[in-house]
Amino acid sequence: MPSVAVDIRHLSFRYDEEYVLEDITAQIYDREYIAIIGPNGGGKSTLLKLILGLLRPTKGEILIYGQPPEKKRTIIGYLPQNINFNLDIPLTAKTIILQGRLSRNKLFYDPQDYEALESVAHKLKISHLLHTKISHLSGGERQKVLLARALVTEPKLLVLDEPTASVDLGAQKEIYAILKELDMTKIVVSHDINIILEGVDRVFYINRKLFIHDNIELKITPREGHFCEMELFEELKRSCDA
Amino acid sequence: MLEALSFFSNSLIASALLSVAVAIIGSLMLVNRYNYLAAAIAHGSYGGIGLAIYFGLPILLGATLFALILALVLAYITLKESRHDILISLLWAVGMSVGIIFVDLTPGYHTDLLAYLFGDILMVPSTDLIYMGAVDLLLVLFITLFYHHLLAIAYDREFAILRGVRVGFLHTTTLLMVALTIVMSIRSIGLILVIALFSVPPYIAEKFTSSFRSMMMLSGIIALGLFVLGLWIAYLFDISASASIILCAGALFLITYHKGRR
Ligand SMILES: Nc1ncnc2c1ncn2[C@@H]1O[C@H](COP(=O)(O)OP(=O)(O)O)[C@@H](O)[C@H]1O
Ligand SMILES: [Mg+2]
Repeated sequence: MPSVAVDIRHLSFRYDEEYVLEDITAQIYDREYIAIIGPNGGGKSTLLKLILGLLRPTKGEILIYGQPPEKKRTIIGYLPQNINFNLDIPLTAKTIILQGRLSRNKLFYDPQDYEALESVAHKLKISHLLHTKISHLSGGERQKVLLARALVTEPKLLVLDEPTASVDLGAQKEIYAILKELDMTKIVVSHDINIILEGVDRVFYINRKLFIHDNIELKITPREGHFCEMELFEELKRSCDA
Repeated sequence: MLEALSFFSNSLIASALLSVAVAIIGSLMLVNRYNYLAAAIAHGSYGGIGLAIYFGLPILLGATLFALILALVLAYITLKESRHDILISLLWAVGMSVGIIFVDLTPGYHTDLLAYLFGDILMVPSTDLIYMGAVDLLLVLFITLFYHHLLAIAYDREFAILRGVRVGFLHTTTLLMVALTIVMSIRSIGLILVIALFSVPPYIAEKFTSSFRSMMMLSGIIALGLFVLGLWIAYLFDISASASIILCAGALFLITYHKGRR
């Protein structure tokens, strides 16, 4: 039995009065590849922020390799959703990727940081883009830069929120091919169910509640009972097509 | 020409010192979208001027203390309160009202208050230059030490938090620096015009540069150019220097408005 990377126990969360996530229990194992899907506003991004410790559970708890998320941040790589709001700031891809190497007491970069930058850029085939201003990159290139920022610390746990939103099909396939090869625990929110299903170990469908869909056996066990397996799967696909 | 230069010598030194502040704080304000906060500190710190006049304290001291406290309160509000827009507007107005009331209460005080609202760069005393130089030094130290952390916060605050960057501390310190910068500009540019001066050069520089470092550099150069041009126009036509500088800024803004827009 592999060790548990993310342990979610009876987690509920609300921003205001209404619960966004309700009584979610799940274990994600070390080196597992999890896809999270579900309708817009279903709580996917919120769940990721709880896993990262950016939000605190209203009820229940989350442990990352046995510890609270705040203590494990250094081993987590994160690619947020909709980071394209700050494109006006004059920054090159290199500056953004290096930000992944910052830490509480690291104010300046050292040679190891530049080595890590070179190696991750090489791996993602974006070495030629390092000196390009972020606003001049295409959607796919920008997402690869943000993926590089998440990977530049060689994290044990990778958390990606819609890494292929507003990315053309070619770049989407490229990004998922890269992800498939990465040897770490991976949690990826995505709408591209057709692509993501290959290589993924399990699919979590989240719409306030969690439905775990075992990708290998295609066995679905809805908690509320009024879904049959096929209905749920159709529902998963419908919500992703919309 | 020479005659004019010597007449302007204090104002030229002030212009250079202010340009450094515009470069650093103006750029940080822009990328962090702190303009509204900075405007609240600028207007609110009129309260410090009123209190200083009433209690017979040096204006710079009163304004500095008041602006720093205002910046701390605003930092706290923006970090902890979700409905902070209302509170910011309130502090803005309350600060100004405190200033007005204490000036009213001061017996026999008739000095032109417009001087603090609009400033007069031709009348900057030498003691102010020392204050300005000291603030510049602090700003350079601040940006040199925390360059990467400040940039990480500006680009993606949540990611910065994940990396362990002290977001609360740096947010607060940035606002304290904004407060000091505003106070150093009061006598030359005035509380009302200062925000425009600090916004326009970085806004233009942002479009023409590819790193934050070069954006700051270019902002400083643009600011200095605006000061010199504004002073020259003011001298030629014998009109207000602050207003001329701001009009030059407005004109440059219009000229470059369509450049580099995506
Ligand atoms: N900061 C916030 N404050 C209040 N409500 C929020 C906030 N962020 C998200 N929500 C609400 O929480 C729900 C879940 O949002 P989110 O987790 O972003 O969903 P998803 O990522 O699945 O689209 C939505 O109804 C959204 O409006
Ligand atoms: Mg989302």
